[in-house]
Amino acid sequence: MDDIIEVYKKDIDRSLLRENLKLTPQQRSERFEVAMRLIFELRRAAELRRTTKRLLEAESASKQREA
Amino acid sequence: MTEKGFRDILGALCSGNVEFILIGGLAAMAHGSARATVDVDVVYRRTLENMHRIEQTLAPFAPYLRGAPLGLPFRFDVATISSGLNFTLRTSIGDLDLLGEVVGGGDFERLITHSETIKLFGNDMQCVTLAKLIELKRAAGRPKDLDAIAELETLQDELES
Repeated sequence: MDDIIEVYKKDIDRSLLRENLKLTPQQRSERFEVAMRLIFELRRAAELRRTTKRLLEAESASKQREA
Repeated sequence: MTEKGFRDILGALCSGNVEFILIGGLAAMAHGSARATVDVDVVYRRTLENMHRIEQTLAPFAPYLRGAPLGLPFRFDVATISSGLNFTLRTSIGDLDLLGEVVGGGDFERLITHSETIKLFGNDMQCVTLAKLIELKRAAGRPKDLDAIAELETLQDELES
């Protein structure tokens, strides 16, 4: 377990963590909300894209059956 | 969970005077983690008074067992809370893991000695210390936590250097 953790540590961006450590927990939570808003928006956009794709494929298949 | 869910759930628990300790991904964020999380994990105090507060606080948000089939006769009241221990809930304002005990940390009374008061999302609350959070993650021993442990231990290194 420790060996794997040490491998993961090599990829950690310490400069990002140092920037976070300059903030208070309240400031971190505000930044976190902004970041999560973006993540949720991306998720919603991806879901909308998947739904649209499924609908278009279903419509296309329906037209092919009719033809 | 929505982007407001974290603030809404923790705000409701604080407004309802629920005694809890923040653990998990949000506690990691509070200590400086840069990782995203969608969970709100708390250890709650298992006194009758606190369980009443939890029931009253969450009642407006229709708590239901996450992943359970819809339509089960589930009532989240003091009787349910006292006869159970750990609950993974879905509410109208987001998901909440309400834990009576946690591996490596025990119950509220044990964990409170390893917590500190922090201000998060506009509310003062108890949050597990960074050192204890690392212990909890290590005790859980889940493969998905290994990179989180690496980040938390790096944070600890940075704080000590």
